[in-house]
Amino acid sequence: MKKTCTHQPDCLKLIQRIIDREATPEEEAAFLANKEQCLPCQEGYELEQSLRKAIKSNCSSKCPETLFARIKAKLFVVLILISILIPLFC
Amino acid sequence: MPHLDAMYNFALRLTNDEDDAQDLVQDTCMKAFRFIDSFEPGTYAKAWLFRILKNNFINDYRKKSRGPAKVEFEWVEQSFSGDEDQEPASHADLHAETVNEMLGDEITAAIQALPVDFRMIIILCDLEEFSYEEMARILDIPIGTVRSRLHRARAILKDSLAAYAKSKGYH
Repeated sequence: MKKTCTHQPDCLKLIQRIIDREATPEEEAAFLANKEQCLPCQEGYELEQSLRKAIKSNCSSKCPETLFARIKAKLFVVLILISILIPLFC
Repeated sequence: MPHLDAMYNFALRLTNDEDDAQDLVQDTCMKAFRFIDSFEPGTYAKAWLFRILKNNFINDYRKKSRGPAKVEFEWVEQSFSGDEDQEPASHADLHAETVNEMLGDEITAAIQALPVDFRMIIILCDLEEFSYEEMARILDIPIGTVRSRLHRARAILKDSLAAYAKSKGYH
């Protein structure tokens, strides 16, 4: 297995495009075949996957119920106003 | 209401403040209702809402948004400079195992310490899974800039995590 990668910057960009689902199936297949023979590419792929996973599991928050209620109330008031005002001008 | 959790989360990541995030989401919903005619049927409603939220943030909230949550990562903002289309500097040594070992708060703090444009693109891509094309529309930038900004944001994030891991004695 290769311990160094001569086109690491390009491989890194491709790895990110693969993880972002922006690479073509051909590009992905070629990379996955090459990955088995290249240690830096293997480590780079694992690192990008771990980062994605860490972000997904640690950066999510749920909208507070109070905010949902506030928005609903505000929209309700706007709709009521519209239904009162529109007949006056038509 | 669909996408409300995602909108709130995006707003929270942008403003770093729960009250500001709630106000930003509420303003976004009211603007979306007011400008519903600008929504093109058949396009992705979530991307349309995120675009309104982003514009709202830039116009009204950016100046008053709070700083990074943790002091330890403040150097990231200070160390960032230069043209985002340039290739990112080679990043420090960081391994998947180290990221897996890190606590959730440490990851969140590193994200929050990123300059807002980089934070924004990482959340849109890695968390919300928008395509490059959708992100280009949300952010009003060419798709090439989406690619380079994302690449650079990830390089800075990895640098930041590597420096943090080293200082805390992670393997």
